[in-house]
Amino acid sequence: MLKALANIGKYIVLLKNIFSRPEKASIYYRQTLRELENHGIGSIWIIVVISVFVGAAITIQTNFNIENPWLPRYIVGVTVRDSLLLEFSSTMVGLMIAGKSGSSIASEIGMMRVTEQIDALEVMGINPAAFLILPKIIAMVLFMPVLCAVSVAVGLLGGYLVCLIGDVIPVSDYIYGIQYIFYPYYLSYAMFKAAVYGFIIATVAGFYGYHVQGGAIQVGKASTRAVVISSVMILFTNLVITNIILH
Amino acid sequence: MIRLENIYKRFEDTYVLNDVSVDFEKGKCNLIIGSSGSGKTVLMKAMVGLLDIDRGSICYDDRDFVKMSPPEKQDLRKEMGMLFQGGALFDSLNIEENVMFPLNMFSRESYSRKKNLVDSSLERVGLRDVNRKMPAELSGGMKKRVAIARAIVLSPNYLFCDEPNSGLDPKTAIKIDALIKEITLDYNITTVVNSHDMNSVLEIGDKVIYIYQGGKCWEGTKEDVLHTDNEALNNFVFATSMAKQLKNS
Repeated sequence: MLKALANIGKYIVLLKNIFSRPEKASIYYRQTLRELENHGIGSIWIIVVISVFVGAAITIQTNFNIENPWLPRYIVGVTVRDSLLLEFSSTMVGLMIAGKSGSSIASEIGMMRVTEQIDALEVMGINPAAFLILPKIIAMVLFMPVLCAVSVAVGLLGGYLVCLIGDVIPVSDYIYGIQYIFYPYYLSYAMFKAAVYGFIIATVAGFYGYHVQGGAIQVGKASTRAVVISSVMILFTNLVITNIILH
Repeated sequence: MIRLENIYKRFEDTYVLNDVSVDFEKGKCNLIIGSSGSGKTVLMKAMVGLLDIDRGSICYDDRDFVKMSPPEKQDLRKEMGMLFQGGALFDSLNIEENVMFPLNMFSRESYSRKKNLVDSSLERVGLRDVNRKMPAELSGGMKKRVAIARAIVLSPNYLFCDEPNSGLDPKTAIKIDALIKEITLDYNITTVVNSHDMNSVLEIGDKVIYIYQGGKCWEGTKEDVLHTDNEALNNFVFATSMAKQLKNS
């Protein structure tokens, strides 16, 4: 319990250091672009692959569970769209990126710690917490909503393909369903959640990497801990945000 | 000059630095020697602010580093260069970007001017045609040279070297020592070197401080090291039985 409280305190101190004045904005800008490429663009393919299968599977399962002849078939399209928008895309992307980028961030910063590269930055008069973690936070907060939007779009495409190829429901019903009573608010809700998850992933992974002590084994452990803790935080935050916004 | 006065540092209940007072002089290679675990790395880390001390003062030309605010410390650090044990080069940057890094952060010079400074720093440490290479492609000695080039590119007033010869063969180690000595004289800077390599002590030790169990046990020049009657220092310097026989003969 005491250790958990100490970690929360250290996390808050790290956040304070991260959000202090940057030494040179242009360098941070360049770093942010590099992080956008690494953690944003580099993650699109995996999100596309997973989302297309998830969209297809949700379509089949929804159809399987709605076998009431009184319900119109386009309800499948509505359900798939709302499931992806409200829950699946944002949370699934959050958990996927926590695994992919979270472990990468923690091990990158952790290795820099054990090889004294962070000490070198500090001795040069650079704030290492801000220099290393802030561009990652900005990149993640900016790109996670994009990944979420891609996931929704590709998930809907997966549903469309399974209707087309697998003859689950008529394609026209599916297309009608995904357009039926669309609330744009759902989209902004999903984007907001994704941005929050991006912040959690970058800061939690940065925290565990930054505080590594020891060698390669500790870096590995920090990387695992970063993924586990950020995944739990994402699920908990999902519950809190959903309760606040949609309750 | 760097003046340390009554430095104390403890980890839990153990004092790793116990009332250390010493002056590191400008234009000289000041060596801190001592066996592993004696506290010399902690002392150097305390001097550059990587560790906070419990008591005492660290003055850089009469500016008390301990009492400075974090932004003031950051400013003073721009006058420091440090060579870490493993080089601590940034893996993701090539050699030119590594050496240019402090310039990019703190200098408003044009790219061509910065490039010239990088090339002259690399040339100063005896490296050519390595600009595009990555740190992983260099040998241990070359990495140390690049780290020295990065440390001097902003023309620091204070140079810190933590075990500059660790992991190097004796011939390369002597070259690195000679380079540190030349840079100290050329730039007229205060250089502090942590070492337990006796070759370094005899080669470049203008002033030598022996740390024993966290305290300053002895202070003198490289010539004095060989003729001292300090038992702890003699046990450190003449550690082998052959060396002890030579000392006694």
